[in-house]
Amino acid sequence: MILAFALTAAVLFGSGAYLLLQRDLVRVVVGIALISQSAAVTLIGSSLTRGQEPIAPDPGQPISDPVPQALVLTALVIGLATLALVLALVNRVVTALRTAEHEELAAQETEHEESLEADQQRDRDEAA
Amino acid sequence: MATALLVPWAGGALLIALDGRRRTVAWLSVGALAATLGALAVLTVRVVSAGPQQTVTGGWPAGIGIVLRADALGVTFALVSILVLLAASAHEAIAGPRARTFPGLVVLLAAGLTGLFLTADVFDFYVFFEISMTASYVLTTYGGRVRQLRAALVFAAVNLLGSFIFLLSVAGTYRITGALAMADVAERMPAVGPNAGMLVAVGFFIAFSVKLGLFPFHFWLPTVYSGSTPAVAAILSGAVANIGGYGLLRFGAGVFTDQLQAAAPALIVLGAASILYGGMLAVSRGDTAEMLAYSAIGQVGYVLVALGVGGPVGLAAAVLYSVVNALNKGLLFLASGLRGPVVAGAFVIGALSVAGVPPAVGFMGKLELFRTGITAGSPALVVLLLVGSALSLVYMFQTYQREFWRTDHPVSGVSALPLRALVAALALLVLAVGLWAEPLLVLSERAADALSGRSG
Repeated sequence: MILAFALTAAVLFGSGAYLLLQRDLVRVVVGIALISQSAAVTLIGSSLTRGQEPIAPDPGQPISDPVPQALVLTALVIGLATLALVLALVNRVVTALRTAEHEELAAQETEHEESLEADQQRDRDEAA
Repeated sequence: MATALLVPWAGGALLIALDGRRRTVAWLSVGALAATLGALAVLTVRVVSAGPQQTVTGGWPAGIGIVLRADALGVTFALVSILVLLAASAHEAIAGPRARTFPGLVVLLAAGLTGLFLTADVFDFYVFFEISMTASYVLTTYGGRVRQLRAALVFAAVNLLGSFIFLLSVAGTYRITGALAMADVAERMPAVGPNAGMLVAVGFFIAFSVKLGLFPFHFWLPTVYSGSTPAVAAILSGAVANIGGYGLLRFGAGVFTDQLQAAAPALIVLGAASILYGGMLAVSRGDTAEMLAYSAIGQVGYVLVALGVGGPVGLAAAVLYSVVNALNKGLLFLASGLRGPVVAGAFVIGALSVAGVPPAVGFMGKLELFRTGITAGSPALVVLLLVGSALSLVYMFQTYQREFWRTDHPVSGVSALPLRALVAALALLVLAVGLWAEPLLVLSERAADALSGRSG
């Protein structure tokens, strides 16, 4: 069971890391989401214990550890919030620039800065 | 201790709902931060006079409830971070905030940071870490132009990866020790197999190095610092980056003591590489914000070297230098966005402090580092520190000359008087702490004691 969890986490992290390196911003976001899921799977897999439910157990019987479940719940909520935030950020970028590609972003920015530099040069020439 | 957490928490939740573009709301956020700073100052006095303070949340017995623990290390970092946040938000309150969420977010960031520095639980640390990081992702977009959006995107993508590596390490910690309270983890670490322990420790190291912008993990830092507005850059480098330094100290020296000792040579080499790389690139940069970003990469190298050397002297130096660096960067980033005679003076004080010239507080930091080098008995380390200081002197004054002596500067005119007064006050604080350094020295020594006491 632990092996299955480990393999799942590894595949999730690998795919996430691959997507994170893509040019398309939406893919980057999906990559982040996959890596967050991989962390959640690892949290569960790293503390699997066999036993009864921890609510009202028979005395003397082993109980399954409830702590990791609580941790995963918290981590999932945080993951959801950050995912929503990053998606909103990408949305802002898309509406502002009408592109969702990393390189086009960089190119547009350079263009913008060059145009600014030309303006500044003109100002300086006029002042001189 | 609960007040120090509740004040920014309640204040932030309230202020985020109000329209932050109004002056009153902006000043309310400054007031909330000042109240937090006051509560932390009271807490610091209590910690120094009566030893670490501890509360268990919700009145549960310890072990079920989550433990909050204020020791000298935590309160020192909390104090300096909130101070930088206060300066940055006062800067924006004077200038007039341009986004409705800014004042509320700064206060929420303060809540996250205070919690992070005061918690004694590994998973709680992750939760507060995410609270502060989420607030700072949104803060990076402040200004709303394309540059800031791009900076926020890079910042969020890289640091989320760092956060999840941290979470994976937390899972590993729970697996190998079966505990989440820092004291229990530290107690059970010696019984853990060396390979598993090392793996988890390296995970934590990578997560904090990404946050701090240490040499091989620094790639995101220049884009973000030069892309965001001066106030946000001051917040990121003066307050948010403290998470990395604190984390390295707390987890490295406090929890994973054996792993830290085993990895000490590697840490010193990485720190040295960071110092030289940051210094060299800072000299070659034309843009002030970019220069300060590379300078930040170099400065955290010193902290890592001091941590690698370790011992009471090394740890105290690491704490002291983190505090000094946060103050310096806060001052320099705020000053770099302004113009005028007083501002130039403030920038010079910041520059002298980075280079380690008395009477600025940077001198105390460098002095402690030299003591560390001498205690380690390594001439190479002392030479490295000297080279690093010389480099910082070069890049700082190169920038000073380019920015403040240039007559045809694109940003012309003198900034508003209150803004200049604020920067001057911050510069005076840097001078005052340098001249009357005993409180800071005592605090950092206590912090080092707290760390080695916990591990020993």
